[in-house]
Amino acid sequence: MPDVVVKNLRKDFGGTTVLHEVTFTIKDGEFFTLLGPSGCGKSTTLGLIAGLDKPTSGSIAVDDVVFVSDRNNKFIPPEERNLGMVFQSYALWPHMTLAQNLAMPLNIRKVPKAEQQTLIRDALDKVGLAHLIKRYPHQLSGGQQQRVALARALVYKPKVLLLDEPLSNLDAKLREQARVWLKRLQADLGITTVYVTHDQEEALAMSDRIAVMSGGHMLQVATPHEIYERPATAEVAAFIGRSNFLDGTVVSASNGTATVRLEERGEVINVSVSGDAQAGEAVTVAFRPENLHLSATATNVPNGAIVLPVDVLTTSYVGSRYEYDLKYGDRVLIAESSAGTVSGAAKLVIPADAVRLYPRADVVSQDAAELMAVTH
Amino acid sequence: MSTITKTETPPVSRPPAREFPAPRYRRILGADRSSIIFYAVIVILAVLVLAPVVPTLYQSIRDKPLYDAGGIFTLDNYVRLFTEANFGQVALNTLIFALLTTVLAIVIAVPMAIVVVRTTIPGRRIFGAAMQWPFFISSLILGFGWITMYGPAGFVSVEVRRILGFLPWDLYTLAGMAITEAVALAPIAYVFCANALRNSDASLEGAAQTVGAGPFRILFSVIIPMMRPPVVYSSLLVFSLSLETLSIPLLYGQPVGINVFATFLYNNGLQSIDPDYGILGAASTIILVCTIALVAVQAKLLKDAKRFVSVRGKATRPRLLDLGWLKWVSVVLISFYVIFGALIPILGLVARSFTKIFTPLQNPLLSLTTNNYATILQYPVYIQSIKNSLIVASVGAVLVSVLATVAVVIARRSPFRYRKVIEYLALAPNALPGLIIGIGLFWAFSFIPLGGGALIQGTLWAIIIGFGIRALPSAYGSISPAAMQIGDELDQAARVAGADWLRVFLRMLAKLLTPAFGAAIVLTFVVMMKEYSPAIFLGSADTNVIGTTMLELWVQGNTGSVAALATFQIAITAIFVGIAGLLMRGKKDA
Repeated sequence: MPDVVVKNLRKDFGGTTVLHEVTFTIKDGEFFTLLGPSGCGKSTTLGLIAGLDKPTSGSIAVDDVVFVSDRNNKFIPPEERNLGMVFQSYALWPHMTLAQNLAMPLNIRKVPKAEQQTLIRDALDKVGLAHLIKRYPHQLSGGQQQRVALARALVYKPKVLLLDEPLSNLDAKLREQARVWLKRLQADLGITTVYVTHDQEEALAMSDRIAVMSGGHMLQVATPHEIYERPATAEVAAFIGRSNFLDGTVVSASNGTATVRLEERGEVINVSVSGDAQAGEAVTVAFRPENLHLSATATNVPNGAIVLPVDVLTTSYVGSRYEYDLKYGDRVLIAESSAGTVSGAAKLVIPADAVRLYPRADVVSQDAAELMAVTH
Repeated sequence: MSTITKTETPPVSRPPAREFPAPRYRRILGADRSSIIFYAVIVILAVLVLAPVVPTLYQSIRDKPLYDAGGIFTLDNYVRLFTEANFGQVALNTLIFALLTTVLAIVIAVPMAIVVVRTTIPGRRIFGAAMQWPFFISSLILGFGWITMYGPAGFVSVEVRRILGFLPWDLYTLAGMAITEAVALAPIAYVFCANALRNSDASLEGAAQTVGAGPFRILFSVIIPMMRPPVVYSSLLVFSLSLETLSIPLLYGQPVGINVFATFLYNNGLQSIDPDYGILGAASTIILVCTIALVAVQAKLLKDAKRFVSVRGKATRPRLLDLGWLKWVSVVLISFYVIFGALIPILGLVARSFTKIFTPLQNPLLSLTTNNYATILQYPVYIQSIKNSLIVASVGAVLVSVLATVAVVIARRSPFRYRKVIEYLALAPNALPGLIIGIGLFWAFSFIPLGGGALIQGTLWAIIIGFGIRALPSAYGSISPAAMQIGDELDQAARVAGADWLRVFLRMLAKLLTPAFGAAIVLTFVVMMKEYSPAIFLGSADTNVIGTTMLELWVQGNTGSVAALATFQIAITAIFVGIAGLLMRGKKDA
């Protein structure tokens, strides 16, 4: 069954490179998500797999069929690739009923009429809409249209299913339910799926593996757990979940531990590192707000934990927990806590295993940096 | 989500797993059938656009007519054009005429657009609709109407002279031509400015109000400054249209010997017994250079103007400004333009068609007659010209609309490498004056080998091709926005589902574009019904259309029958548009 093999895929648009030599393999039956902010190259990648666009260089193959390759100038047009695709706008053909929408790909494949009817009914049954078979797309709700689009993409049993932000037009509550339902349907069918989204929660909840993209590069390809717990770069840490970032300089490094001086107030901390760090290297220290402890006085500090003196700026109740904005030097740090009683000067305790060290990176946008700067 | 839970029922029993392989499309020499269509369309368009242009350029540098063998290359034609043929004076006349026309048209159109779209004058809808009149009436007919009423012996002129003892205006001057042409072209500038006003962001005016600006302050500080791009663009448009226009300079200038570009071509190509093709070619080339340059600048401006479109979340209805007593002044001025510019000349022309003599000196009701119509209906040549016009307009409308639709879809919705070229070619005839299309095609037909040209030359097909080239940009322009409104994900979905480009076009886009196609047919029909200038060179005695027949009758002094034919043409257009409107409305309800 089909593996999707993408090698050195590159796309230039009038001089600017929107996709830099991306390489990855999607395994048979896998739910594979391309995740990233808008303009990161995820939709471009999907369009290239579908054949809606030609890559500048690189190759794509499904199974043993080469879709496109720069080596022998081969290009199979989208209509001959046998893929299923659901678009962000659903792209249901407005002048056709649901039955006619689903029949189109079958007609093209010269499937006998009688067999078509069973296939169409089956496909609509799968998405729970068989009773609306004679309706026109504009007579359906957004959620129903989205499911019809899915049925249309599945009715001819394509090799790979491509989903381009199919849930982004649904309202928030429905989106969460549709997420679970879609994941279950995909698992039932066992169809190899490439999913494009900018919604990290969606990606984490549904995917077998996630490829985090930014600026046309693939930053990390891994399971959701790995991506969240061990982000490969500071950008991934910034984009998936939330993180606090502090700049520092490595003072010394040995045996998987680096001693880092924080630039803000000159504290020296010890951080465990997986690779090697060089003394004098500029680094960014990252830690997630939910892994922190905040208390008025630092008691019961675990072994190796870092303690930073902070002032509480604001406390917000966000349902089920409190969120603190903390002043540390001239920076604002965020911490989550179940208690909302801390105020004034306090200690922020960061457990040793919650801290990750990256080469110095500018991950905070100008806007966000200005909002976070303490000016009073 | 009750429907979602339904899927939790045990999986439906499926037929044994079966593969449905993707279709394979046949390729000829590596080209799929869609590409073959792309190239066919680009070739057809290129031939249509270049056929009148290339022979013209070629003729301009040959010393003998194209069909004579043994000519040599020469620049002598250009020299003689300015020495013998006095083309410099013609160019100067044209420049004065075009500039005057532009200034007058803008002076009429811009204030009218602002007042009608943005202020609370009574009868806004009626005035807006009244500005559509040139859609039904060609400038040739308007010229006839003006002469009938305001000419030296016109109905109004005679009355004015009787009261004042003299006539304070003379229609047969450059200024007279410019005033009439401006009246004819003002609606084009009006429509452009009115659309720009409607599309501009009303919240900008709201913002001005919140800081305390009154209606006049808003008008002069916000609305008028923002009008600059549409005013500049429509000035250019009016200027280039008046540069190539034939009708009014021909009717007004001919009796007194004032020549502009188009009448120069008309006189040198048609009136003289032995036309000097070298001079004709050289003059056409110079005119073409002017019109092409102007159209290129327009295209550039239009592209830049799109960058200024402000992005809005919601369509807000602009609050109309109250001009106080000034609104009554506006109403009077606009009514003056509509009544004296268009209504009186056209009604006068219709009245003329039902009378023997049309003058205030004698009660027209006493000389009522149907003889003018009888003349038309008695002679088969005149009836034939009405039939010809109908055939040319209806066959042409269908052919041009089909070509325009295919061109739009390729230009906007295909991976074709040269799709931009298709758009340029389809819009290029905007830069080709009707007379030059006529002259150029006339030469082009004489080029076709094996006497193929003789098969087309002088037939209705020649007329259809000439008029069709002229009408192509309008048809393209009316379909293009509709095509852009259809989301491209619709065709992408069909492509992924297994349809090649041709099937996407036939099954999806053609169906979704049907209403736009119908509208394009109506528009093209009306445009081709009014057209006549290419037929001056392409027509024969058997292939006269209404326009050329009217000119013939006019030269003979048979103004009553001209009026009758004009009335026919207006009636046919109105009836056709009325029926088409009813049909389309009926379709929408169904």
